[in-house]
Amino acid sequence: MIEVVDLWKSFGENQVLKGINCTVEKGTTFVVLGGSGSGKTVLMKHVIGLLHPDRGHVTVNGIDMSAITGQELTQARQLFGMVFQGAALFDSMTVFENVAFPLVEKRRQMTADEVRARVVEKLRVVDLGEEVLPRWPAELSGGMRKRVALARALVTDPQVVLYDEPTTGLDPITTDSVDGMIDAAKEKLGVTSMVISHDIASAFKVADKLAVLYDGHIAAQGTPEEVRHSDDPFVRKFLSYWFKKQ
Amino acid sequence: MRRFRAAFEDFGELIFFAGEVLAWTFRPPFRLGLVIGQMAAIGVGSVMIVGVTGTFTGMVLALQTYYAMRQLGAEGLVGGSVAIALARELSPVLTALMIVGRSGSAITTELGTMRVTEQIDAMETMAVNPVQYLVVPRVLASIVMFPLLTMLFDVLGYAGGYAMGVGVSGIPAGPFIEHTRTFVEHKDIFSGLVKALFFGGVVAVITCFRGYNARGGARGVGEGTTSAVVMSSIAILIVDYLITLVTVGS
Repeated sequence: MIEVVDLWKSFGENQVLKGINCTVEKGTTFVVLGGSGSGKTVLMKHVIGLLHPDRGHVTVNGIDMSAITGQELTQARQLFGMVFQGAALFDSMTVFENVAFPLVEKRRQMTADEVRARVVEKLRVVDLGEEVLPRWPAELSGGMRKRVALARALVTDPQVVLYDEPTTGLDPITTDSVDGMIDAAKEKLGVTSMVISHDIASAFKVADKLAVLYDGHIAAQGTPEEVRHSDDPFVRKFLSYWFKKQ
Repeated sequence: MRRFRAAFEDFGELIFFAGEVLAWTFRPPFRLGLVIGQMAAIGVGSVMIVGVTGTFTGMVLALQTYYAMRQLGAEGLVGGSVAIALARELSPVLTALMIVGRSGSAITTELGTMRVTEQIDAMETMAVNPVQYLVVPRVLASIVMFPLLTMLFDVLGYAGGYAMGVGVSGIPAGPFIEHTRTFVEHKDIFSGLVKALFFGGVVAVITCFRGYNARGGARGVGEGTTSAVVMSSIAILIVDYLITLVTVGS
């Protein structure tokens, strides 16, 4: 379970987060929706301990991510898998080397055969076959890169997976398959997911609960239905762009 | 005043970064494979450019020294002069400057690209320390390869000087070699290699620092690379002066 309590963060004069509170239940998908510059990515980076708050704290499965550093933080990060906006695959490594990387580095007792079997298993979860193993990231389409990134995030069997703008820049068909992949990770592996997005359609599709972030604070949160009927003027305006099209 | 302060802050961060690199160097796991890979990239890849530069530097040096010495009727001293200039100063400094241009810029560009495409963040989220995985191997490889390439520069530079002095200018081989033996002591060669070792460490830390902290997309990477090459080149000359001051003074 992830708990964000009264989280504040500024960069110089720029106050990015202004007292964020939210809870992500175990085994559910929580989407943080918001426009560009609303502080979504900053919030996510606090969850995994890449940033430390000015005030407040984030706990993940009871570990206060804002209070630990060094070896403790390194240890705590093994709870997580993270899928970055641009996939962030290591471009000097093949698909196999990318997905195997966390195992090779952190599970040194595993044999080469075990590593390969695990890599193939996780690629199957995201609907990719063994034929992609020797390929380089530059040879993959945007959707395939995202899938490989998710396979890499899942390979250590994390309890929490964080997705940073997973559908940004993808065509509708690929977006749909990425949404399916997020659902598959939850259904097949029971992971807790936190998704940062500005893609309203995708957010309402995958979310068990969602929050709308505006100007550093949460304007509305709850189930997709609750958020859709929120009275907050920004939320109504933000969502109307998409719901009017339907 | 603000730029002055920013420069001081930047220097402080560089020193802190160097301390971090030092601390991670002695912590397991030790990734020997990555160090060897970097030795190949930084060292083996620079053999051609260092070899060519060394050969021509020795030839030019011999030619210039020959014209000066001929006025005094002391052409035989050319071999010794070339060897001592190479061993003490030219080999370590020019080798380092050549590697900065070829491999140093590549280090900054590679790490900078990894930073702006979030590959370094990704590594961190996988509980792998990026300084230990990416920076330490490059620094260790540079510390090993700079002196080795300096030796290559020494040998090919002297060979170039010999070819020009003996082969082209007609200096008798005997005095050319004999004066080299008289002039050049082991400590001259050793001091050059010590300089190269320090240059390797300094250049690797600066170029990695600039790449590791690159911001703002392709433009940021470009600016980081330019800054890394300029800073490294200046640092080489300053460190050269300081080591010379210490070794000559002692």
